[in-house]
Amino acid sequence: MIDQQLAEISNLAIVVTIVLYVLALIGFSADLASTSQKRSDERLAAREAHEAARAKQSVTAGAAGATGTAGPAGTDSPAAAAGAAPAGAGEDAGATGARSSAASSSSMTAQTFAFILAVAATVLHIFGVATRAAATQRVPWTNMYEFATTSTAVVMVAFLIFSIKRAELRILGTFVIGPVLLVLLLAQTLWIVPAAELTPSLQNSHWLYIHISVAIMSTALSILGAVVASLQLLQARHERALVERVSDDDQFPEHWGRFGHVLDRLPSSTVLEALSFRIHSVAFVGWTFTLIFGAIWGRDAWGRYWGWDPKEVWTFIIWVVYAAYLHARATGGFRGSRAAGLALVGFLAVVFNYTIVNTIINGLHSYSGL
Amino acid sequence: MAPDDADRTHPSDGTDETLSRTPNPDSAPHSASVDTWSSKRDKDGPRRPPRGVNAPALGLRGTLLFLWRQLTSMQTALILLMLLAIAAVPGSLYPQRSVNPALTDQFLEENGRWGKLLDTLGFFEVFSSPWFSAIYLLLFISLIGCIIPRVGVHLRQVRAKPPRTPSRLTRFTGYTRVELPGADADALLETARRSLRRSRYRTDVREETGSRSVSAERGLLRESGNLLFHIALVGVLICVAGGQLTSYRGQITVIEGQGFTNSLTQYDSFESGAWFDTSELSPFQFTLDEFRAEYVLEGADESRVGQPLSFEADIDVTTPGEKQEQRTLQVNKPLHVDGTSMYLLGNGYAPDVTVTDPEGNVVAQGPVITVPMGDVGYTSQLVIKAPDARPDQLAVVGFFLPTGVIDEEGPHSIYPDLADPQLALTVHKGDLGLDSGIPQNAYEVDVSTLTPVTGDDGTPVLISLAPGQIFELPDGTTISFDGVKRYAAFDVAHDPFERWVLVSALTAVGGLILSLFVPRRRLWVRVGDRSGPDGTVVLEVAGLSRSDDPALPDDVRALATKLSEAQDGTGGPAGPSPADPVQIDDTTDDHHEGSAQ
Ligand code: HEM
Repeated sequence: MIDQQLAEISNLAIVVTIVLYVLALIGFSADLASTSQKRSDERLAAREAHEAARAKQSVTAGAAGATGTAGPAGTDSPAAAAGAAPAGAGEDAGATGARSSAASSSSMTAQTFAFILAVAATVLHIFGVATRAAATQRVPWTNMYEFATTSTAVVMVAFLIFSIKRAELRILGTFVIGPVLLVLLLAQTLWIVPAAELTPSLQNSHWLYIHISVAIMSTALSILGAVVASLQLLQARHERALVERVSDDDQFPEHWGRFGHVLDRLPSSTVLEALSFRIHSVAFVGWTFTLIFGAIWGRDAWGRYWGWDPKEVWTFIIWVVYAAYLHARATGGFRGSRAAGLALVGFLAVVFNYTIVNTIINGLHSYSGL
Repeated sequence: MAPDDADRTHPSDGTDETLSRTPNPDSAPHSASVDTWSSKRDKDGPRRPPRGVNAPALGLRGTLLFLWRQLTSMQTALILLMLLAIAAVPGSLYPQRSVNPALTDQFLEENGRWGKLLDTLGFFEVFSSPWFSAIYLLLFISLIGCIIPRVGVHLRQVRAKPPRTPSRLTRFTGYTRVELPGADADALLETARRSLRRSRYRTDVREETGSRSVSAERGLLRESGNLLFHIALVGVLICVAGGQLTSYRGQITVIEGQGFTNSLTQYDSFESGAWFDTSELSPFQFTLDEFRAEYVLEGADESRVGQPLSFEADIDVTTPGEKQEQRTLQVNKPLHVDGTSMYLLGNGYAPDVTVTDPEGNVVAQGPVITVPMGDVGYTSQLVIKAPDARPDQLAVVGFFLPTGVIDEEGPHSIYPDLADPQLALTVHKGDLGLDSGIPQNAYEVDVSTLTPVTGDDGTPVLISLAPGQIFELPDGTTISFDGVKRYAAFDVAHDPFERWVLVSALTAVGGLILSLFVPRRRLWVRVGDRSGPDGTVVLEVAGLSRSDDPALPDDVRALATKLSEAQDGTGGPAGPSPADPVQIDDTTDDHHEGSAQ
């Protein structure tokens, strides 16, 4: 039987979770904004120092001197790296270090506040998912609403695990909580259905646990991967623009204003690319398993392992597009931004499979519960 | 992963590194490679003009070779993969004949010319259309053309020794240089070799001028996994095709109390592959004892009332050789009889109806299968054809209602279970056209050519019956509602290749995991000859990663530390202090860390 009271508690928990995520999002964004403000102040200071130095005609000090006066935080400005050209890209690593140390010293409060809120929200989120499961006495992923609440919980847990150890990843908080919040709001407004028993087509099968939990994990990784790939694309353009300006003899280039400063704080596009690949390769294995387990279940339920049902078609499309992404990464001329573009196409297919295919296109996977 | 990662560490690539904070993956240069990791590289360079482009005079053979190279290139594979994804899209947007023929026909009817055009182009049979087939066949030809040479190269590489140590190690990942005064060069080299072997590297010791080095390599399994993955994909395709040719699948409908014997004549519909042979029909038979359905009861949340909770079919199976057996089939719980499986896929009601014609002859009797219309209440369409009725042939059409209501909406059912079963029928007379030779659907009749039986007021008589009731029409035709049975619909299917599809698919994932997560790397340890007055030995360690391998720099440094410490334990008193024995060249090191990932 369905425990309606517990189901109400679950609903309430998810609503409060959403509120906490909003607060955490505000915290993370405020943190980003404040440090990017600081960044442009520093940049200004560096520029002034540089000009003063030039006025003194201290030729040899040059850009390196300016960097010195700006202090360690200034080192991460690309111009400084360019000024220190003889050190080559070795500067980059130093810059990354300086960047994270600057982040931790200058923005402790806002970020820590947001991070703690995010942890609290995630705990409540998990509580909401668990009470839903308890209320219905089954796994909490048998309709779109439950799938959405559960997979966003997985995204958050994955993000928190990543960033508990590596504090420098916490600055990605805005970009992770944003999409999570969006999905939760959609779930709460459009996809919400009352707690209900399983339809017969979902009964009697352990593949319900295996297939869908793997699908949830893969979806969560696809979301994270898409966040990182998008940032990578923005970062790559940003870096290119900065490099152009540096070579145009602008010692302290600006690009994309405050958003540019936000990007300055994020890891370089190379680092983001590597992270995106790590996430996507696990996601791809996940999708492969989703496909195989789904086929096994389909054979148990409908007597065929593959029938080109719309849901199957779209999972196939997701799989093929991510395979193309992995290929592109190994193909000259497609590496980097173009491959990241393919990863995003794969994510669009995930979104389509989840939203349009579940609600509009009619197939055997009558899953939305709507 | 990316074959050219190595290239980014090549000294000649300094251009963008001096400008940007980090090398942008977009602008990663593609210089000629320093060594040959695998055959992949020559499939990999769009910036190099493809061979043959500047040589139009190649002749037929040259042209074919050129085309083959194009087909088996990585770009082509990439483009074909994307095309495959795009081509699959219409297969989900338009109804597919193989999946849902009724919906397809409806779409065609509603869309006239446009529908016809789409039909000619194959949009309702996307997955067997020429264009879809062309894409995946080309992809697999490309795949095979790509695998075969790589297998050869890989086998050679497995057998060969690790390649020569580069003469300058400084530009490689994690480069570490330690000076060890008074160390024993031979012992150092031997320790290095042994410790690398223990970490499952293949090693090779080389004599060089003024130094010796260990060249070590690990992770060939990465490429093996990749090849296994691609080969297994071909396996999947072959097994799927095999299944298409040899499998069969049929639909049956069985009313409670009735039975089924597995032979062609018993099927409502049946499809089989070109190589299927009727002798493969497994000779089993069964009787449907009872079909049970449970639904959410009144009193629950309104939106859920009438939602199904469970479907169960009790059957009594006789399998060849074995004895009789009671089984309960459920959704997701099929019956397996030597390689053939039977699935519970549908159900409905079969009201027991007797029809007598005006002359008093019984012209129809027994349970009639009705077709559910898809509403929550299970309103079901009923058609009885009585060609033997006299003076005219009769057709009884209408609805069976498990929980019937007849209101301004007309007759419909509000709950799927048998709370208040009713029949709502009209009777029609005329020629049923059964002798015309055109096969007819048993569950449909065209009443437009028939005349309805009317009452005194001239309107068709609407018959409403509860179980046990009899209705007599003005012309003397009687209809009695004797009771209700349920029926179950099953699919019977057999695909001998099924398990091999699964085996190939799992092999593919296995290969994929190796291919994605086994780090492939090289490590070099060079020990210089004694130089300087105190006999200082120079130890150099560096690595090169061919994959996403963030642990490499640390591993290189750890090895250097370990070697110098080992030396320290056995060596002379002048050894470097154990606390900080390693001098790390940070600049180079961190640069590689950034670009080698
Ligand atoms: C049936 C279509 C194909 C699929 C689904 C597919 C899928 C994949 C996947 C998922 C990977 C990533 C695994 C890894 O990085 O090790 C990969 C790698 C690779 N594929 Fe394919 N592939 C297909 C066809 C081809 C074809 C036709 C070629 C030859 C042109 C090819 C050549 C390669 C190569 C060389 C790699 C390794 C890339 C690297 O260095 O990491 N594949 N493939």
